Amino acid sequence: MSVLPLAGSQSAARPTGNRAASSSARSPELKALPKIRRRQRGLMAGVLMLLIAALGAVLATNIYVANAQYEVVQLTNEHRELVYQNQALTQQVQFLESPQALSNSAVTIGMVMPATAGTFDLSSGEIVSGAERASSSEVPSSFVSSPTSVNPEPSAVDVTDPALTSASGLLGTGALYTLSEPTQGDNGSGTDAGAQRSETALRGGTIPAPDLTD
Amino acid sequence: MARTLSLRMRIGLAIVLALLVVLGGRLFHIQGLDPAGHAHQAVSNRLHTVELPAARGDIVDTQGRLLAGSADRYDIVADPRLTGDHTVPDAELGMQRPVTVEQTAEELALLLDADSAELLEQLTADDTHYATLARNVTPEVHQRIMELRVPGVYSEPVSERTYPSGPVAGSIIGFVGSDGPLEGLESEADEALSGEPGERIYEVGADGVRIPTATYEEVPAEDGQDVRLTIDQDVQWFAQEAIADKTSEYNAQWGNATVVDLREGREGEILAMADSETVDPSDPAETDELFRRPLALTQDFEPGSGGKSVTFAAALEEGLVEPESEFTVPYRMSVNGESIQNARSHADYEMTAAGIYARSYNTGTLMIGNRLEEQTRYDYLRKVGYGEPMDIGLGVEGQSILRPPEEWDRRQPLTTQFGQGYTGSVLHNVQLYQMLAQDGVKHPLRIVDAHLDPDGDEHPVSAESERIFSSETSQEMLKLMEGVVDYGSAMGAQIEGYRVGGKSGTAEAAGAAGGFDGYTVNFVGVAPLDDPQFVVSITVHRPAGEFGDWDLTNTFSDIMTHTLTSYDVAPSDAESGAYDGFVGQRQDYPW
Repeated sequence: MSVLPLAGSQSAARPTGNRAASSSARSPELKALPKIRRRQRGLMAGVLMLLIAALGAVLATNIYVANAQYEVVQLTNEHRELVYQNQALTQQVQFLESPQALSNSAVTIGMVMPATAGTFDLSSGEIVSGAERASSSEVPSSFVSSPTSVNPEPSAVDVTDPALTSASGLLGTGALYTLSEPTQGDNGSGTDAGAQRSETALRGGTIPAPDLTD
Repeated sequence: MARTLSLRMRIGLAIVLALLVVLGGRLFHIQGLDPAGHAHQAVSNRLHTVELPAARGDIVDTQGRLLAGSADRYDIVADPRLTGDHTVPDAELGMQRPVTVEQTAEELALLLDADSAELLEQLTADDTHYATLARNVTPEVHQRIMELRVPGVYSEPVSERTYPSGPVAGSIIGFVGSDGPLEGLESEADEALSGEPGERIYEVGADGVRIPTATYEEVPAEDGQDVRLTIDQDVQWFAQEAIADKTSEYNAQWGNATVVDLREGREGEILAMADSETVDPSDPAETDELFRRPLALTQDFEPGSGGKSVTFAAALEEGLVEPESEFTVPYRMSVNGESIQNARSHADYEMTAAGIYARSYNTGTLMIGNRLEEQTRYDYLRKVGYGEPMDIGLGVEGQSILRPPEEWDRRQPLTTQFGQGYTGSVLHNVQLYQMLAQDGVKHPLRIVDAHLDPDGDEHPVSAESERIFSSETSQEMLKLMEGVVDYGSAMGAQIEGYRVGGKSGTAEAAGAAGGFDGYTVNFVGVAPLDDPQFVVSITVHRPAGEFGDWDLTNTFSDIMTHTLTSYDVAPSDAESGAYDGFVGQRQDYPW
């Protein structure tokens, strides 16, 4: 700012020496700014609208992504829970399918070891071997111990109760969770699910971050 | 605007420019060149690498039933520097609720079923940064612990092996210790089962949240291959029950029942390798060390009369004897000053070679075996597998001790003819009967059927077969074996509707202090003889009682019948092809 007066005095001194030259030159023609034509005005408005629309879209996408992230976290948790539950159930089935377990179940429902089966030769119509009656005392021995279950609490995966109360076809506590908790995240409304989440889960924000560590 | 600048202005501008250049240079130095590695350090501070463990492959039986699998578990660990009194948000109160470390320990103790005092000690220890509170916790318990939100208590995902069939085939599958696989296939096939772990690299900001736009790399883990065994879980279980029953009946030290498949395309596949007692891979410490590895490989013993099959097959192969060649068989005879006798005293019998085999007379066997050179007999013993370790792909080799003829003592040229003076494992014996039953062709026994890639590609494990005996010898040997079951030493092995052949054997068991102080009794049988499908071997070591008290044939016929019916082998009711045992009409001479 302090330079301006100095520059102003210099330019004020200059015209005195150059007057002849400046008079011979054509004086600059003064022109009004070109009129913006109606069409161009429309274009400008269009561009502006587009910008606003883009901004709006970006905002909307952002909000949507943020909300979706919230949902993804919840769905991931649910998925993980279901995977574990499925794994536990599969294991239960595998343990129950072991030959010892099958043999024990067979004995408890009164089954006995088979006796000789009768066989026919279909081509000659002959009886190859006669069938014998199974003896009721012939129960399978149980020298081989049953497998040690890794799931000491079978109740943990007992789905019968949840299945009874479950409204839809979904089973298990994971399904119950979706019934009791709304699945859609309501970001920023500050009243329901978001507010109930603890600070550690939100890590200072309003949306729980995807947890990559487990 | 002024056209020129005053001197002071210029100087000022120059200084400013110079400073700018210095600053720019410094900026370039720090940002561009980064000699102190600050930027690198910053990135590496933010970078987190998480290992993605590869899923360990499963071990399945021949029909794809799971024998060993993996389940997701968590180790619960604590950093005692960070644990202590803390607050947790309480949804009901709507505010933070204080929790003391003692309360934490009690809550954890309840969930982990552990002692709260011990946990408290671990949570408050000041000499460590890492304390393992619990291992292999189920996801459900893990989740409940994480819900406590205790600072300093973390979880580490681990994979635990599960064995849904418990002790069924336990010694074959082996087990895994806390530091890695220890025994059996878990150890032998570890490389294939393990796979390659992957990793996930990402940047984390100061608040602990991943920076979404920063580096994110994921190298996926390559899961391990599954291993499919030739074992049939059901047959294995049945055989384990049967042999445990027999072993307990005779109060023996151990017993083994082995079933081998002879069906086309599956020759030499071990369907069951059952021990009288088997380790449960989930709890190996519970079982005596003897039973933690497959007995069919770890134990070698004299095959006894079973070894006569090599002598007979060799003599038939060399054309030195026919099944109906006639011999006068005494109870006792002396060769080179060594006296050899049969198990029970009897009169001199006019017998066929088939009869000698069926009644398992040592003297008669010598008459046939002595027609062969020592070296030739030794060579046949080696060819069928004795004297060589037996490897079926399980990491445990079956041992067999057979000295060359020049190292034999005075009795060994005789005793080796009837299965004494050398040892072999159960599988050595089974291999012999496998080749006798299958046209004289040796199909090496094996227990691993295929390795399966995670995408389902199969890599079958196969072995080269080798002809040892001619087809004719094999056919004749089957008829000799049928005589053993028809009228010989193992009549209890008969199964209605099927032609069954086999050979029993009893040999003295060497004691720890030298000399013999017990017996090893065995029986190996094949059925049906018109088209052999299975070999079943029963062995019982050191049964209580006196020589001659033991009979394994009912265990054999139980297991064989079960296997035949399980695999839909129809009875044929075909005529026996056994040769007469005695010369002349009369066949019922006393034993």
